[in-house]
Amino acid sequence: MSAAPPDMPPANAMDLHDRAALLASGERSSEDLTRDALAAADRLNPALNAFIEIHHDAAIDQARASDQRRSNGRSLGPLDGLPIALKDNICLAHGRTTCASRFLESYRSPYTATAAQRLIDAGIVVVGKTNMDEFAMGSSTENSAFGPTRNPHDPSRVPGGSSGGSAAAVGANIVAAALGSDTGGSIRQPAAFCGCVGLKPTYGRVSRWGLVAYASSLDQIGPITRSLRDAALLLSVIAGHDPLDSTSAPASVAPPCPSHAPSAPSTSRPEPPTIGLPRAIRNSTGNHPAVNAALESAAHAFESAGARIVEIDLPDGRDAIAAYYIIACAEASSNLARFDGVRYGRRADIGPSADLEALYRRSRTEGFGPEVQRRIMLGTHVLSAGYADRYYHTAQRAREFIRRAFQAALHTCNAILMPATPGPAFRLAEKTTDPLALYLEDVYTVSVNLAGLPAVSVPVASAQIDGKSLPIGMQLVGRPFDEHDLLALASTVMLRTR
Amino acid sequence: MSTTTRVSIESVRPIIGLEIHVELRTRTRMFTGAPNVAHPEFEHAEPNTLIDPVVLGLPGSLPVMNRTAVELSMLVGLALGCRIAERSVWDRKSYFYPDLPKNYQISQYELPLCFDGSVELPPMTADGKIDLELLAVASAAEESTPRHRIGVLRAHLEEDAGKLLHDSASGATLADYNRAGTPLLEIVTQPDFRSSAEVVVFCQMLRDVCRFVGATQGVMQKGHMRFEPNINAELTLSDGRLVWTPITEVKNLNSFKAVGAAIEHELREQPKRWLADGVEFGPGSKTTRGWDDARGETFVQREKEDAHDYRYFPDPDLVPVVVDSAWLDSVRARLPELPLARARRYLREFGLGVKEAAALIDEPAVSDLFDAAVDSCERRGIGRERAGKLAAIAVLQWGLKRANERTAVRIRRAEEAGRSGATALVVLASDLGVGAEQIAGILAMRESGAVSAASADELFGLLCSKEDEPGESAGRGGGYGPGADPEVVAEARGMIIVRDDSAIDAWCEQVIAADPKAAEDVRSGKVQAAGRLVGAAMKLAAGKADAKTVRARLMEKLGVKE
Repeated sequence: MSAAPPDMPPANAMDLHDRAALLASGERSSEDLTRDALAAADRLNPALNAFIEIHHDAAIDQARASDQRRSNGRSLGPLDGLPIALKDNICLAHGRTTCASRFLESYRSPYTATAAQRLIDAGIVVVGKTNMDEFAMGSSTENSAFGPTRNPHDPSRVPGGSSGGSAAAVGANIVAAALGSDTGGSIRQPAAFCGCVGLKPTYGRVSRWGLVAYASSLDQIGPITRSLRDAALLLSVIAGHDPLDSTSAPASVAPPCPSHAPSAPSTSRPEPPTIGLPRAIRNSTGNHPAVNAALESAAHAFESAGARIVEIDLPDGRDAIAAYYIIACAEASSNLARFDGVRYGRRADIGPSADLEALYRRSRTEGFGPEVQRRIMLGTHVLSAGYADRYYHTAQRAREFIRRAFQAALHTCNAILMPATPGPAFRLAEKTTDPLALYLEDVYTVSVNLAGLPAVSVPVASAQIDGKSLPIGMQLVGRPFDEHDLLALASTVMLRTR
Repeated sequence: MSTTTRVSIESVRPIIGLEIHVELRTRTRMFTGAPNVAHPEFEHAEPNTLIDPVVLGLPGSLPVMNRTAVELSMLVGLALGCRIAERSVWDRKSYFYPDLPKNYQISQYELPLCFDGSVELPPMTADGKIDLELLAVASAAEESTPRHRIGVLRAHLEEDAGKLLHDSASGATLADYNRAGTPLLEIVTQPDFRSSAEVVVFCQMLRDVCRFVGATQGVMQKGHMRFEPNINAELTLSDGRLVWTPITEVKNLNSFKAVGAAIEHELREQPKRWLADGVEFGPGSKTTRGWDDARGETFVQREKEDAHDYRYFPDPDLVPVVVDSAWLDSVRARLPELPLARARRYLREFGLGVKEAAALIDEPAVSDLFDAAVDSCERRGIGRERAGKLAAIAVLQWGLKRANERTAVRIRRAEEAGRSGATALVVLASDLGVGAEQIAGILAMRESGAVSAASADELFGLLCSKEDEPGESAGRGGGYGPGADPEVVAEARGMIIVRDDSAIDAWCEQVIAADPKAAEDVRSGKVQAAGRLVGAAMKLAAGKADAKTVRARLMEKLGVKE
């Protein structure tokens, strides 16, 4: 292990609600909390590389403005003055928005993403932009042009990805919460690796305006937090119809949580809940033993709480992976076509030659890392004449099949319980030489994106490996637009660290 | 080629289809709220001033469909007899070019908004114009010999690209994205045209239709409409065989003249090319050509047009366009009477001349003003046919005269100020500030004999809005404004004709006394001398008397019977 071990997060790390209480009581100011967060970021980032950019001055300015509001009796609500971090594919009209790509290393967005703006309007303090796999393509945050992020629980291991920087920042207790984005597991998997709560909302729940697109039909912004109640609170603020995003759910859809009140999600149902457990996943040899054990104890926890466990059948996750990579790459190849060196971002120096194609080729070759190039080529191929039917259209049919299968399953149960990942965090470079092995990391997460459902990953246990305590996360998949119930059910299995 | 050298071409049958791009004049872009350069309010914007994150395709930006653009497209589709899809889908068409900010164009590929229409070609004059006269009388004949119909394959919406300008001084290519994302309606016909004249008449008719439904201003010089004919020919050979020449698509023609000339050129050249190279219609044989207006020739732009792979797939950022019956009905209810139907009505119902009818349908607003004035006249008790004749005089004589005058002044002033862009300066009869009710008010007074013909014309002038810049007298306008009641204005200006016989008698006696020689001449049979006396009496009456009445009273006093 080359890097020095960073400070372990304190076991009793406070969540947003705890910190809000400190602000409300006047015990701490927003500036205090923000300075703590900035200090922690400065101290831990050399080892973790969780942040691409830390907004020292702007964060202090925002914190002081928040303190001013509070002292004037004009607090904007429970989030006012709390420091958080944003994944660097979420546009902010301050600092750079790089998507961890050389192509955008000096790109400044002239506008702020809707989800970020809603948090800012609620008084949040943005301490910085977090590291990620380039353009959110990856499951380890090793595909960053600015170097990999390391897992705060074991710096020789990856934090997961692509929202690895956000998960590491929360896992290391630099901030209590961060926003990530989830296209095939990019919130849930790093949250599981870093011992955090990671919520992927229902597709359409949160506006994608200002989220730099990887795969538009799958991308969704969501919170990475230390508690379920924080996930509920953040979701309630960032959710809602946005006239700038045609795919955001109409205003008529019920809000994710009954009220904006900072209370723990609770469930009161006439009958005990039914939890579906996919038969094929139970005791799968593809899972780490600690994961299988955690799954069984989570099921047991549900039963102890009065829930009924039913075994269900779901389409093979490996087919979902195939469909996912075809659809995601197809959309990505088109979404990333705009990065051409003409209007913004990296522009290769092609000298006096006026060769347009050289400008495109050189700018894109210099600007994109190997995984991004791989997915663009893959996506271009599957949409090409003569191949689109075999790949893209077949994958769309598979997606519809998967969507219906989940719909049918969720007809018989309130939520589906499965692992977030097949195992705990793996070591850096362990899977970089074999992209397919890395793609299989997403076996439990991609189906949920294909089906557009909400899912939350919660820490349920930890495994002692090589003398380190590595978090194990379980995933609960819920009914569309019923994140409230999902988070309430998840509290049954959430590991109590406090 | 040996087979082609031995045979000769006996006849050439043209096969022509047409693609038309119409820039819609919505206030905002197809997929974002940035202003649309095809809207008259924004057409003079400086390069790259009508932009936002969506127009530039900035990271994280998303398209949102402009409903108005969809409705305008539905109106054009309905006017072309198309069916409107209950569900149509936005696709991405991928190709790299610097004028295309996202390097894909949002378009409709598999499921277009409008499809399966057809349009009847109007009768044509020998010189290839729409024959309005025949159109008006031909109802019986057309049933026995149906007119040639042109099938409309589809009309779909898409976004326009930006513009690249090559700066010869620096050698740089400059990009202007003001046009990028402008709503563009692409209409594709079946290859049903059999001559260039048919195509040109269709283009003219389509332009009028698009302007009347409010889809575009239709200014050709500004590229509001661009035509792309697909041309090939069936050659009958001397040995009896039929061969088909490869299809040529001529891009971006923006005048009717160019459309006709380019087709004629291709129809001359294609048989020669076949004789020279023997290449026939078939996969990969389609070429794209441009049009050199100065040389009157087409030139090759791209070979193997159909070999492009645009990798179409549904745009995941947008939702399908679902047109339910309520929406369709509300749009259908807004479909106005189309220009040729109007012309036909003007000819048949009002007995107007072809020139008058053509002038009225030249501009939708003028035609609307005319129709509204006719309706208002009718409400005031004037018979419908008479109302049509009177309203035509008001709009085409009183109105047009002043409109032309104002246009001339504006152009002159613009030229003096060193500005150009004459099309924006044109003033229409409908732009003068005189409304249909006011026109009908004037006409009703004139019809009842309450004002003289000269006063009616003058009254129209007084009701015109005041021109900001001082111009010629008639075009200046009295500035009474659109709310002014013509009767009140006529009263105030002393234009109401006096019917009081004693007053007329007094004027007559006064002029007879003042010019005894003329009076004597009339009495002795030199009736032409009466004109001088009538004129003098009218002068005394200062427009309040009617010349016919005055003359009758005068003659009676002089004891002359007419």
